[in-house]
Amino acid sequence: MERSIIHINVADFAVAVERVLDRRLDSRPVIVAPEGATRAAVLDMSEEAFQAGVRKHMPLNRALRRCRDARVLPPRPDRYGQAMARMLKSAMPCSPLIEPGEGDGHLFVDVTGSSRLLGPPVDVAWRLSRRIRRDIGLVPIWSVATSKLIAKIATRLVKPLGEYIVDPGDEAAFLAPLPLFLVPGIEPDDFARLNDLNMIRVFQAAMLSTDQMETLFGHRGRFIHDRLHGIDPSPVRPVDDPPPRVVECEEFGDDTNDHSQMERSLYRLVEQAGRQLRHQALAARRVALVLDHTDGVRRIRQVTAAPATANDFTLFTHARRVLNLAWTRRVRLRRMTLVCDRLTYPPAQRLLFEPERRMAERQDRLVATMDRIRQRFGTDALAMGRMLAA
Amino acid sequence: MQRKETQNPAQILVGTSGYAYSEWVDAGFYPPGTGSDRMLAHYARIFPVTEINYTWYQMPKAPAIDRMRRKAPEDFRFAAKLTRTLTHEVDANGWPAQAVLYREGIAPLVQSGQLLAVLVQLPPFFRRNPENRSYLSRLLDALSGLPLVVEFRHASWAIDRVFAALEARRVTLACVDGPELKDLFPPLAMVTNPDLFYIRFHGRNAAGWRSGSMQKQFDYDYSDDELAQWSRSRIPEMTRQAGTGIIFFNNHVRGQAPKNARMLMEQLTEN
Repeated sequence: MERSIIHINVADFAVAVERVLDRRLDSRPVIVAPEGATRAAVLDMSEEAFQAGVRKHMPLNRALRRCRDARVLPPRPDRYGQAMARMLKSAMPCSPLIEPGEGDGHLFVDVTGSSRLLGPPVDVAWRLSRRIRRDIGLVPIWSVATSKLIAKIATRLVKPLGEYIVDPGDEAAFLAPLPLFLVPGIEPDDFARLNDLNMIRVFQAAMLSTDQMETLFGHRGRFIHDRLHGIDPSPVRPVDDPPPRVVECEEFGDDTNDHSQMERSLYRLVEQAGRQLRHQALAARRVALVLDHTDGVRRIRQVTAAPATANDFTLFTHARRVLNLAWTRRVRLRRMTLVCDRLTYPPAQRLLFEPERRMAERQDRLVATMDRIRQRFGTDALAMGRMLAA
Repeated sequence: MQRKETQNPAQILVGTSGYAYSEWVDAGFYPPGTGSDRMLAHYARIFPVTEINYTWYQMPKAPAIDRMRRKAPEDFRFAAKLTRTLTHEVDANGWPAQAVLYREGIAPLVQSGQLLAVLVQLPPFFRRNPENRSYLSRLLDALSGLPLVVEFRHASWAIDRVFAALEARRVTLACVDGPELKDLFPPLAMVTNPDLFYIRFHGRNAAGWRSGSMQKQFDYDYSDDELAQWSRSRIPEMTRQAGTGIIFFNNHVRGQAPKNARMLMEQLTEN
């Protein structure tokens, strides 16, 4: 069945919420950045500040040199969370399939098959945007398309204000002239590689076959190929059914950039996540790490775990690889979050080569034994040597 | 089913307001499994004209409009609604730029000769007062050269001075068939432009009209007798005063619009 996906996007969400709370901020440049940090970075900015050259993650000092009359506000995630909750409430009458972003002003609403009850999807989208404006005071961008991917690109095109309806069947023509960086899922490295081939627009890269894409990007080739052709079958998840994943977080009492401390903390998170996975008899196919720096900059990186795993040792190998990818700044870290997702049942297929298989089986037995000991005598009954401070 | 030609001296084109309704598949108008991208081609085999609704929600974009018109035969015709930023959600300073954008967006239909009308549908809260009269005058000036049709939703505009002003500008008044409600513009068979008359059948669902839900507002099935009130006297009379007439059914719920449009086409053919 042809899908009808609405994407609601409140541009510059943090600033938009602050403006609802204080109308004196209207039409003047506003920057949201943490207070007190020596090298604070911009988390969000208003359109006026953007026009003056301010960008996300830019050091606040430089941002203020570019936009001297900007009002700087500290981030208030609780307020943004409340605003998201109210947006969600406004959308509830439209569909049970509503997928909110994480405090960022984004909502996907799947209204497929509801036109007899609610009317045409485009009318539902317009009424929803009007309701959000009336109830909360936020002015969202909205789009209607046949997939989350196309709907999201469409709202990006009309930012900071407007709407975009992509007719079914019009996806390829819609995507063709766009610059590659507008397509979600195309990472900067992918973009650079395509740029090396003088490909900067979608229609140029879309001419490459799946095989050619796999030659260029390995296992990501098919994914990138599909994205460039507007193929995105990912569902809009029900609002009360977040994607299954295991999330573990550690906030450092004192911000740190000590490597050994980071590895100890990471291993602790891996142990906690691994225990949860094994308890649920699941395994993760992807390991991601979110690093929050003292200055407010957030770095997110992820790697694929193939085959899927719930073993602490394998998970840690993946997690350490992600840490190396994500931790490229000298600025201290305030918080580290480990996310294990794309959960599946543990693979039944045994490893092909004898030495690897024996090693994996020994590790599995060891982890299972540790789980049993901890279950009987408590979590602290057993600790890995790497967890002991030097 | 092939499109039917009317036998009337003036060209009368009957169609529906919008065509891309998935519920029309369930209603049997479109064959099972028809996707939105194939609806216009199918629709054009039955009706010679449609009223594009989505241009009310979104400022038309020339490439998308051009792709849409290519899905229909060259002799198929379009009427396009004016965007809401020029009728319902008007920014006092920004609207002239919106009018320019609209002209640019709709240009492929103008260039191909397929645009029969631009419908300026004004909201119920747009009453006749000096401020709104001035705005409407400036809006019609800004859109001059386009085949304009004005639909009022408030009864305060139903006076001779308004009709005379439209006539002086050769702007068509949209005649409407709707529920009889206080303050709603009445169903008049009025021709203000010798080139074109324009009728919209909204359905007579008085209970649902102000419900805030399109599915209730436009849920109505016309009877033969109700349509005959128009086909026997009003439409022939209007036909004598204008060269072309366009008639749209807006009661899209459950496929009632195409059903009633066919009924009216048959009545007009019989007369």
